[in-house]
Amino acid sequence: MSTLEIEEKSVEDAISLACEKLKLPPEKLEIEVLSKGSSGIFGIVGAKKARIRVSAKELPAEAARERAKEILSEILKHVDLPTVVESESKNGHIYLNIISNGSGLLIGKRGKTLQALQYLVSKIVQKETGENVSIIVDTENYRSKREDSLTELAQQLCEKVKKSRRPLTTGPMNAQDRRIIHLALKEDQDVRTKSKGEGNLRRVVIYPVKKGKKSHKTVPGEENTRE
Amino acid sequence: MLKELIEFMARALVDHPERVKVSEIAGEQTSVIELRVAKEDLGKVIGKQGRTARAMRTILSAASTKLRKRAVLEIIE
Repeated sequence: MSTLEIEEKSVEDAISLACEKLKLPPEKLEIEVLSKGSSGIFGIVGAKKARIRVSAKELPAEAARERAKEILSEILKHVDLPTVVESESKNGHIYLNIISNGSGLLIGKRGKTLQALQYLVSKIVQKETGENVSIIVDTENYRSKREDSLTELAQQLCEKVKKSRRPLTTGPMNAQDRRIIHLALKEDQDVRTKSKGEGNLRRVVIYPVKKGKKSHKTVPGEENTRE
Repeated sequence: MLKELIEFMARALVDHPERVKVSEIAGEQTSVIELRVAKEDLGKVIGKQGRTARAMRTILSAASTKLRKRAVLEIIE
């Protein structure tokens, strides 16, 4: 990162010159005032110029991304597994991708280890930057594979619900997995989804929606007559 | 190895990293990792509903699987 030292008549003048030189607004500059300068007597005798040191401030999002990557790499270093971490910022999320030997060790059962890493890294980054950042940790495309299989599961359950006209429940799932189920069936007008249960045992229930009726009250024998 | 892992994670989470003390009692199969932090930081390493502690234990067990060992994390008050 480039650092500049600028001398001007006053601190203000120096800052505006710095902005011009680095082509950045003042709020994106790291400014250190080395000497405030003084106009001296009558502006002639003993006039001292103001000196500042400026550098472009790292964008907060970039800094958080770098830091997140460092923290994850550091944790993985202690796990004694050869890994490389890639990072990317997209749509306000920080994506960290772990490239490893593909043993699945870092995924854990149902992505438990991956979830733990993601939780800890976001917690540490949040503590250090004081900002709410969304960090997503992935390895070997686990998350997108998981999303595909959950979407498929949702479709299968949905078909069953439509046939039997009885609600069905998925197994216990974490918030992200439940979200995928809800999103997968959002467009389907024949079923509705709801989360039920507490804490770790929270699951998604898929209910059939009675056709031709807006209310959820069931009138027996009416389902087929109103189609 | 496991000790450093816990030490790094705990130091990053607390307000007083200098008061984080980790010791490892190694057994034949199982090692016990003892974590001591400043009193006011206890909540930080445990987390809401023990979530942070659970995350650390999950990562610890992944790391110890690699070493073909078992490890238990004890947070000492």
